Amino acid sequence: MLELRGLGKRYTVHDREVVALADVDLVLKPGSFTVVVGRSGCGKSTLLRLLAGLTLPTTGAIHHNGGRPKVGCVFQEPRLMPWLTVAGNVGFGLVGKVTKAEIEARVEAALALVGLSDFRNAYPDQLSGGMASRVGLARALVLEPELLLLDEPFAALDAFTRRGLQGELTDIWLARRPTVVFVTHDVEEAVLLADEVLHMDGGRIIGRREVPLPRPRDATDREFVALRRAILDDLSGRAGSSPPPA
Amino acid sequence: MTTPGLRRHTGAACVLIVLAAAWWLASASGLVSPFLLPLPQTVLATGWELLADGTLGMHVAVSVGRILAGYSLAVALALPLAFLFGISPAVRQAFEPVLEFLRQVPPLAMMPLLILWLGIGEAQKVGIIVLACFFPIFLGALGGIAQCDPKLVEVGRVCGLRQWDILRRIVLPAALPSIVIGLRIALGQGWRALVGAELVASAAGLGYMIVDAEQLARTDIVIVGIFVIGTLGLLADFGVRRLIARTAPWLRQRTELTHA
Ligand SMILES: Nc1ncnc2c1ncn2[C@@H]1O[C@H](COP(=O)(O)OP(=O)(O)OP(=O)(O)O)[C@@H](O)[C@H]1O
Ligand SMILES: [Mg+2]
Repeated sequence: MLELRGLGKRYTVHDREVVALADVDLVLKPGSFTVVVGRSGCGKSTLLRLLAGLTLPTTGAIHHNGGRPKVGCVFQEPRLMPWLTVAGNVGFGLVGKVTKAEIEARVEAALALVGLSDFRNAYPDQLSGGMASRVGLARALVLEPELLLLDEPFAALDAFTRRGLQGELTDIWLARRPTVVFVTHDVEEAVLLADEVLHMDGGRIIGRREVPLPRPRDATDREFVALRRAILDDLSGRAGSSPPPA
Repeated sequence: MTTPGLRRHTGAACVLIVLAAAWWLASASGLVSPFLLPLPQTVLATGWELLADGTLGMHVAVSVGRILAGYSLAVALALPLAFLFGISPAVRQAFEPVLEFLRQVPPLAMMPLLILWLGIGEAQKVGIIVLACFFPIFLGALGGIAQCDPKLVEVGRVCGLRQWDILRRIVLPAALPSIVIGLRIALGQGWRALVGAELVASAAGLGYMIVDAEQLARTDIVIVGIFVIGTLGLLADFGVRRLIARTAPWLRQRTELTHA
């Protein structure tokens, strides 16, 4: 279990204080799937960076009950090593931890999953944007993490590929039950994937909605549509809790 | 791909042929005295002679030996120091002013001092090469380390890599294009500095061979020497590039230079 208590992060930019995250209280149950939505700059990536241990909070703390989880992270940008092939990038985090044969097998499986088996020997500068982001996804999945953090992983993909990977991600989650925190701007994607959707604004969590729908989910289902509508209303500020967009 | 390649080669060949023809014409027609500009075939014959009696081979061996010694020493000094600077800002701040000052002094300007300190033997030649090679390698590596994308370092941190592994698996390869450019530039600079040093004070080497020939008024030998110096420089640069292409295919475009 992951407990975030009074979590806050401030940055100083040119003598001005930027509050990236403030007073975040959150419990992430093991095996839960949490989706975070919110306007650009509201602190979503900052929340993931804190969860990944890449930066320290200015206030509050993250409590890990049961040891530090193994983290897999899909960044907002692909962040591939230009000197490694696609296979080398996917296996990057496994090197030195498991045998070469196992790396090879796991990399192969992850590449098949994201549909890039034919590109295992390509270099990142030979990939399209969407392909690069899929390599980033495979690199995180191959670690079989306990805590999987994804920052808009499907933003650069076409609708068809995205639909496929949303299905794959759900399957992996159902099979291995990692704790997932997933950032997206796509409300339909949020309702399709989440147990719970968090709405952030100005560095705070200002709204939560459970998604009690059974999987596989159907985006044309009446309850699905109603929930999507409700979250869109939250985001546009009609629910009254968040300030109107500038 | 073959057609533009072929066209480029024919273009280059045409220029070479025209230059050789102009040389031959100028010399054969007596436009320039054959003493100042011997005929191409005379130069070729002299080159063959020097090759056959081992003189050329001996001078080349001496020069190449010096370059190898000086260059290796410079690499051994510059790369570790650059990494030390890269990971320790304190060391960097302490040494930066001295190095910045030294960088402003051309290696050949240090020659009188080196002659006084080290004599005119091998130590002085190698010293000049080290001076000439050090900064291109050092600054290339330092720049490469500084340019390493912190976002890639974060990828390593999420994977749980230790500091040393981050350095070895992320910072070093990220710095490699810049390091390689430094190594290429250094080779060219070292070669030039060496020939300069051999011109001034030496008893062997290609630089010595051409000043010696000048004193004997053997323009043909001087020209042979110049050709050999240029050709060896080209060969060395070509070798480095092949090595890069072989060992790091992703570097090919990143390290191309118009002039090294
Ligand atoms: N390293 C940093 N230094 C200074 N300010 C930062 C830094 N990282 C983030 N911020 C600031 O923190 C705030 C939140 O940024 P964050 O990246 O978390 O937003 P986000 O919700 O992920 O936005 P987006 O949807 O556009 O990715 C922004 O105002 C941003 O300017
Ligand atoms: Mg973000």
